[in-house]
Formats: sequence, structure tokens, C-alpha cells
Amino acid sequence: MFWQLAIRILGAPTLVLLFTAAFAGSAGAVPSFARQTGQECIACHVSFPELTPYGRYFKLTGYTIGKTFVSSAGFNYVPLAVMAQGSVTNTRNNNATDPDTGNTVSLNQRNNGFVFSGGSAFLATKVNDYVGGFIQWTYDNLATTADGSLGGHSGIDNTDLRAVGKYSGPGAAEPDLIYGLTLNNNPTVQDPWNSTPAFGFPYTASPLAQTPAAATQIDGGLAQQVAGVGGYLWWKKTLYGELSFYRTADGAFSILRAGQDTHTDGAVAGVQRWNNPYWRFALSHDWGPHSVMLGTYGMIVNRYPSNLDTSTATDRYRDIAIDAQYQYITDPHTFTAQATYISERQSYNASYSAVQETGAGIGAGPTPDNPTDTLKTFKIKGTYYHDRQYGGTLAYFSTTGSADGGLYGTDADGNARTPNSTGYIAELDYLPIQNVRLMLQYTGYTKFNGAKNDYNGNGRNAGDNNTLFFNVWVAF
Amino acid sequence: MTHIGLAMFGMVLAGAMTAASAQVGTTAADIEHQKAGEQKAINLCSTCHGPRGISTSPEFPVLAAQQRGYLESQLEAFRAKTREEKIAHDFMWGIAGDLDDHMIDSVARYYAAQPPAPGRPSDAALMAKGKQLFEQGVPDRGIPSCTTCHGADAAGVADFPRLAGQHAKYIVKQIEYIQSLVRKAPVMHGIVKDLTPDEMRAIAAYVQSK
Repeated sequence: MFWQLAIRILGAPTLVLLFTAAFAGSAGAVPSFARQTGQECIACHVSFPELTPYGRYFKLTGYTIGKTFVSSAGFNYVPLAVMAQGSVTNTRNNNATDPDTGNTVSLNQRNNGFVFSGGSAFLATKVNDYVGGFIQWTYDNLATTADGSLGGHSGIDNTDLRAVGKYSGPGAAEPDLIYGLTLNNNPTVQDPWNSTPAFGFPYTASPLAQTPAAATQIDGGLAQQVAGVGGYLWWKKTLYGELSFYRTADGAFSILRAGQDTHTDGAVAGVQRWNNPYWRFALSHDWGPHSVMLGTYGMIVNRYPSNLDTSTATDRYRDIAIDAQYQYITDPHTFTAQATYISERQSYNASYSAVQETGAGIGAGPTPDNPTDTLKTFKIKGTYYHDRQYGGTLAYFSTTGSADGGLYGTDADGNARTPNSTGYIAELDYLPIQNVRLMLQYTGYTKFNGAKNDYNGNGRNAGDNNTLFFNVWVAF
Repeated sequence: MTHIGLAMFGMVLAGAMTAASAQVGTTAADIEHQKAGEQKAINLCSTCHGPRGISTSPEFPVLAAQQRGYLESQLEAFRAKTREEKIAHDFMWGIAGDLDDHMIDSVARYYAAQPPAPGRPSDAALMAKGKQLFEQGVPDRGIPSCTTCHGADAAGVADFPRLAGQHAKYIVKQIEYIQSLVRKAPVMHGIVKDLTPDEMRAIAAYVQSK
């Protein structure tokens, strides 16, 4: 009521300005970790959210560098940050034929119009020398509502809370071992390298664009739906290992999926309790202005076909990935590259049996024609920044997998379709100040949901989904 | 004696007096302060400046065997936000803002006591030119020898920094900052204000090799 009245009297833009001004600190109006450390964004980020070697150290030491927001000296800084984004999306061919009515409809309801995409508030701070973390709460102004229109919706976003320690042996000149615990709600959100999905490229994508249907479980399939607890070791800043276990974020962990629609079948994931291990091993080395990492990560997900029925058997998804990252960071030239390959084996132990026995899946769960399928994703990108202000990125992505008519439909000849999608992204970035990023991004598809042409049986081609996206990102 | 010469003499004298009056303490409190400084260096400073102050990235200076007086004065300048070049502003203001006098003293002692970084030679002709500039200056243009303040072996003294083993890129950037008055060092500004970019690179290559 108060906010409705305030918006009516002052107008939303005025309130946004007042809000951001209130949280802009003496550190130059940067988010709360910068206020905590007194350092600028570029100390930890090549460009948000990509981390520098120092940023990785900051993350793996539990966000504990710098001051607590309250100390014996008094109140040091506001441990909150806000982020907002506005954008324009152009879908190359925004017209589609409704298969039911034959009418032409607009796929992107706000094509070519400037929209306020949404915003986030972060509670991000060091608690003490051993505990720190961040909680992101996001307002999505373009969420799809029950009737298919766009509306506002808010809920928890990425969250990572840590408890850490360091060990230095006799005569050590830097920590021999950093160890810690993480509680988070998105597998790989805790990872300090940007080749893994949660903080991987593209860092921002259009909220209105058409996107491929298939993605692996570890690639966002469980984000903000699960709770994970794990431990990690980082030895001599060279060898990193982590083992975590995930569960549905219900019960005592329900805050970690706050805002999700947990009552609609298929709206969120339901997985077995703690029986979803995630692992990560990485070998990294920094020398001169260079930093390189080679790693592997993966997860086994035992998922209920219907999130509303945990009495059934589960389908098993086994994701195994390799990844690599290279960074060259100097003043003024910065070049970074990341790549990852994820191989997922889908064993539809529950769903396939149900389809065979009843002709239907379990609830809103999958309806596979095959007992097992594969889904493989490859992503690679390279980014150059000059003076951390002018940037350009080229990326390639590919998703391939088994043909399965039950999951992906059939073509006009009755052949099962595949989930195959391939394409590229070209992006230009400009940061007039470090808190503001203007971005122009073009995503081109050479294959979409299984085909280059007529992928949906209704005459739509992959290239029709090519997207030009302009985005303004502001964080304070 | 020129004004620059007088100023240099005064700074050397002040540095020597500071060094003489600040011997390592041996009280329990002194030992605790020193341990705290070592832990700060090991757990935080080493992230950018490397183990024992030998950084590998040329963006971050080598601190090993640096002059204690110089380290103290620079940490105080970061804390007071009077050293203002970009990397100082972006990284060091926040780090040094949390340091009290005891911590500055103990961190400076820690790095001053570390073994120096080994020299890293580069182009021979460039180093030869740099050696000549370093040792003889450019008398025709009134540029004095660097050895006057930084020592014949470039090890520095008191508030005059050690240059030996420092990253060449870092040296060049600092001369540029001083030349353009971004970094306020009046004595050095008077000396380097007419150095050409080639001369800066030559001097930097030479001291890096030491």
C-alpha cells in the first residue's frame, strides 16, 4: 500500500533514484562487497560477474576480506546492493502461426519496445572473519503469468553462504590450504570460475527472446529450486576440489526457493533428499598476467517426474562436464576465454516405465519414447576489454542429443526430432562508469530445437529466432 | 646545491633518522603486532603481491626487500588517499584503509625483511642504455643519475624505494604517473619530467634485470 501510494505520488523513476542514492556509499556508489572491501569492482571482476584471480580468492575465502558492516567502531556500510535492467529485444521474425487457430500471433509481446526487465536486491556481506555470503532477491517484471501475459513476479535468486578457514604451515608465504562449507541454491553458483553454468556466458540474455527448449540439469535446470550443502578444499591456489549434496529446497530450506510456484506440477524440480551429489575438481595456475584453469564437474540428479508426487520412482540424470578458462589481465588490455562441455545421460527409469505401462508420463513429467537419452552441450566464448570500459565478446554454443519423439515431437515424416540447437553470440559492451553497462548483443541460430528449417512443423526456421538485444544494466 | 639536491639530502637524512629511531621492538605487544602483520601479508597481500612479496603479474609491484620507510610512507599515502593513480585507487585505498599504524609498521617490516626478487633480464641493448641512464643521468638536460637516491645497486634507502627486481611495466607506469602529476612526488617529478618514453623503458628494463 505504501509503495503503491509512493509510486503514484513520486513516480517509479524518482523512487529508483532515491533508493539507489540511499544505498550509494562513500566507496563510489558500488555494490556492497565493494563497500565492504573499499575496493572498486575491477579488483574482483573483469566485468560483472566474471571474476579475476583476486575475485576468486575473495569468493573462496567466504567473502570475508574487508570490514563487517557493523563493528565496535560503529556502522561501516550498508550491506545491501541493488541492480536494475532495462532492455529492448528485436526478434527477427516475431510473427508465428498459432497451430490451433491458424492466426498470426506475436511471439515477443514487447518486440522492439523498451521494457524494464526487472531488478535485484542483494544482501551481501562479511559476517565475521569466517562467515560471509550473499542472497539475491529478484523482481522479474516480465514473468509469464497464468493467462500467458507478462507481469511482475519476485522471488529468491542466486544465493551462496559460506563458512571458511585457512591453514598456513610453518614458513608459509601464502595460505597452503583454504577450506570451506557452502550452502547454496543453484549447482555451480558456488564455483569461482566462469566456465561453469551459473555465472557463465551469456551473463545477460534477453528475457523476451525465443530460446532452445533443451538444457542439461546442471545448466540451470535446478536453479533456485534446490538446496545444496558441500565442502571444498583449495590447495596452494592450485588444486580445487568440492563435493556437495543437493535436495529439493523444501521444509527448512524452503527460503532457498522462495517465490517459486511449488503447487503447479512441473513448475519446479523435485529431487531426492540429499541423494544428488555434485562434484568439482580444478587445476589452476596464475603466472604473470595469465591465469589458466582446467577442470571437471558434474552431478547426478535423481528427480521425481512430478514435483507433486515423491512417492514414485525417479529418473536419473548424470551430468559430466569438462571446462577450461584462460585470462590475460593487464591495464589496459584484458582478454578472457571460457569453454565447457557437458554430457548428460538421461535414464528415464520412472517416466519411461510409466509411458510404457499407461501411455502417459507421471504428472507433468517427461514422456520419453526411449528408456535412455543423451544431451550434450558445448559453449565457448572469448572476450576482450579495453580499460575495462569497452568490451567485445564472441561465443559459440551447441546442444545436441538423442532423437526422442516423446520429448521433442516428430517431423512431418513421423521421424523423431532431436533437441539440437546451435548458434553464436556477438556482444559489444560499454561501461561509462563501472556501475553501468550498456550492451548490444546479437544471437544467431543455425539450428533450433532440432532443425535449421521448419523446426516446429509450422514453417518456422531457426534464423527466425535471431535476436538483437540492447540492455542497460545498473548496479549500486 | 640545487633545490632538488637539497630536497634529496633532506629526505635521505630524515629516512636515516627514522630508520635509526624505529628498531624492531621486543616487547610482547611488539611481537604480537609483528605476527599480525605477517598474517596480513600471508593471507591478503600475497594474493596480488605474491608469496614473500614477489609478484608475477606486472600490474602489482614486487615488495620483497623493499625499503621499510618507503613501504610505510606508501601505505600511509594509500590510507590517506593521497596516492591516487588508478590501481592505487581501485585496489589499495580499500586495503590500506583498514590498517592502523601498528599494522603498517609490521607489514612494512615483513616485506623489508624478505629476500629480494631475482633480476629478470630482457633486451640487452635496452638494458645497456638503461644502465647508462641510471648511472649517469643525462647531464645535458639536467637529469641526474638515479644512483644518487636509489643507490648504485638500485636497492634504495629509507624513503627512496628499491627499484632492483621491480617489474619494468610497473616502473614505466609510475614514471608516467609522476611525470603527469597523477602521483605526487615533487622531487621525482623534477627529475623525470623530461624523460622520453624510450628512456623510461630503458631504465625500467635495467632495474628489472638487477
